[in-house]
Amino acid sequence: MSELQDLENKSIYIIREAYAEFKKPAVLWSTGKDSTAALWLCRKSFFGKIPFPVIHIDTGYKFKQMYKFRDSIAAEWGLDLIVAENEEARKAGIGPQGGKFECCTQLKTQALMQCLEKKGFDALILAIRRDEHGIRAKERYFSPRDEDFKWDYKNQPLEMWDQYQSIAEDKTHTRVHPILHWRELDVWEYVKQENLPINPMYFAKDGKRYRSLGCEPCTNPIDSDAASIDEIVEELKTTKIAERSGRAQDKEKAFTMQKLRALGYM
Amino acid sequence: MNVNVVIIGHVDHGKSTLIGRLLYDSESITEGRVEEIQKLAEEYKKRFEFAYFLDSFDDELKEERTIDTTGVMFKGKNLYSVTDVPGHKEFIKNMLTGASHADVAVLVVAADEGIKEQTGRHAFLINMLGIKQLSVLVNKMDLVDYSPEVFQDIKTGVSKLLASFGYSGIEFIPASAMEGDNIYKKSDKMPWYVGPTLIEALDAVKLSKQVRPLRFVVQDTYQVDSEKIVAGRVESGSMTKGDEVVFHPSGVKGVIDRITVFGGELEKTETGDSIGIITSCEPARGDVCGLVTSQPVPVREFVGEAVLLGDRLEKGEKLELRCGTRRVNCQIKEIREKINSETGAVMDRAPDFISQHEAATMLLDTEPLVVELFSDIPELGRFILVRDSKNIGAGIVLEKRP
Repeated sequence: MSELQDLENKSIYIIREAYAEFKKPAVLWSTGKDSTAALWLCRKSFFGKIPFPVIHIDTGYKFKQMYKFRDSIAAEWGLDLIVAENEEARKAGIGPQGGKFECCTQLKTQALMQCLEKKGFDALILAIRRDEHGIRAKERYFSPRDEDFKWDYKNQPLEMWDQYQSIAEDKTHTRVHPILHWRELDVWEYVKQENLPINPMYFAKDGKRYRSLGCEPCTNPIDSDAASIDEIVEELKTTKIAERSGRAQDKEKAFTMQKLRALGYM
Repeated sequence: MNVNVVIIGHVDHGKSTLIGRLLYDSESITEGRVEEIQKLAEEYKKRFEFAYFLDSFDDELKEERTIDTTGVMFKGKNLYSVTDVPGHKEFIKNMLTGASHADVAVLVVAADEGIKEQTGRHAFLINMLGIKQLSVLVNKMDLVDYSPEVFQDIKTGVSKLLASFGYSGIEFIPASAMEGDNIYKKSDKMPWYVGPTLIEALDAVKLSKQVRPLRFVVQDTYQVDSEKIVAGRVESGSMTKGDEVVFHPSGVKGVIDRITVFGGELEKTETGDSIGIITSCEPARGDVCGLVTSQPVPVREFVGEAVLLGDRLEKGEKLELRCGTRRVNCQIKEIREKINSETGAVMDRAPDFISQHEAATMLLDTEPLVVELFSDIPELGRFILVRDSKNIGAGIVLEKRP
């Protein structure tokens, strides 16, 4: 069995476990490469049709190409798409100029929290990976959250042999991380193998490309000439630049990511 | 080849430092990360440590100890997924979480301290998890002037400890993760040592796969268009289209009419495949499927060895048990031997209860359930004990009762 197949088999197993264990799951989709791969894995898990909603959190600050990509894939794959936003915060004009920590918390975490409350989802499938960030390397496949969305990272459940923690009484939802064990390179090799649609912003234009997609004001491209999937794969085999180096919110201060995530950030 | 390595050992013996060193020397650290950590160390008024590549919680830095398990990857001759685990007793559940997927373990013993409480406990636990490939890294050799005598003493002591868990012929590597000796690069400070560096020992690892009977666990049944597809994973052996199979404990029999994946069909599966099957019978989630010629046998009683991570477990207590995709009610019918998880020694026979972090052999009474001996088919020979929907214990199956 190839390494990619091995990764895929495990992810599908996890997604199916989540669907069997929880009453009302949903999958989060940023339209980026990782969550698009995760959506594809969901389609594979259920033989084409994803039997639960797909949530896109709209901060209003996403790149135009992301909205375009979102709408075209949603139609093509027949997704039950929910666009979630924190209307109040957007009306109040919350933005990165007033602090990135607050902006991420309001426009992403709070938007998600409101959507969860309204719809009553008890599991959220998320495409985070261990190799993205030190703090994500500490995650479980099934990671419970309390009603305030808090990640009790000092007391995570025992998770052995693919026996995941089911929901406990003092927790309200569980984060499910089916591609936690994938590397960035694996995702791209998988995109290639499966011929997945991908936002063209990942490909280099005029010596720059986006390696990780987020909100327009806080996401910067990297120097790169990789203009195709093959070239990206080659680039990743040798690069020493961190994947999220273009994502401003990670870097504001040490442990910002931990604090964001403890509050329920993805 | 993908190799999952877990680094184990007592607190402060240098596990995180060792992995940080491996990442650094194998040039797997991204640009700017070293400077970032230097800055952080200054902020916290500490000196630069390789461990900070791993310890990402601010509490971990403040307290200078690893709290939860971390997974990192780097490429050598193999693709290594390296798991760092905490060395404190209070974080044993995090240690087990990290160790449960490992193929290989490296036991770190500090040269200046020798065997400590978690040295024994970690070795006991990975032996229980069935990890037979083990190397011992005698770390911090720089603190004992690279002395061959100290190394030899530790080797003798640790060999004896490991032999009591059934390990023999183990490789011992004298090293200093802090200084980089014999981790990724050969040390020139220990000319008396002629064995491999750690990376050479890891590169030489061979993972053997045994041929085992088909065991397919059922996760669910989906209605797709006009068809019912039974979804699940092949835990051991393989399945071929046309095979005659039986599902237990449901007891239903059928033929594998088709093996399906999204967008295609398969003639045959491999171990580990997540697939769908189309068959005339209707199995349930939790069933285990095998060939009629080598059927899985459901039991109502079995003897297991388990380690307790939650609070006190009493004889007679009713819990939930999970094995494969099945959940059943069970009862602790007898606690046979209470085992010290630090030494493997029997502490008590037929006790009324065991406490957190103790292990025991026990007789469990369950609703009908397919289990296998851990030594035969490990995937179905291990179980989790659940109390109030929290995973509180982990065990392996030693003996099946009809």
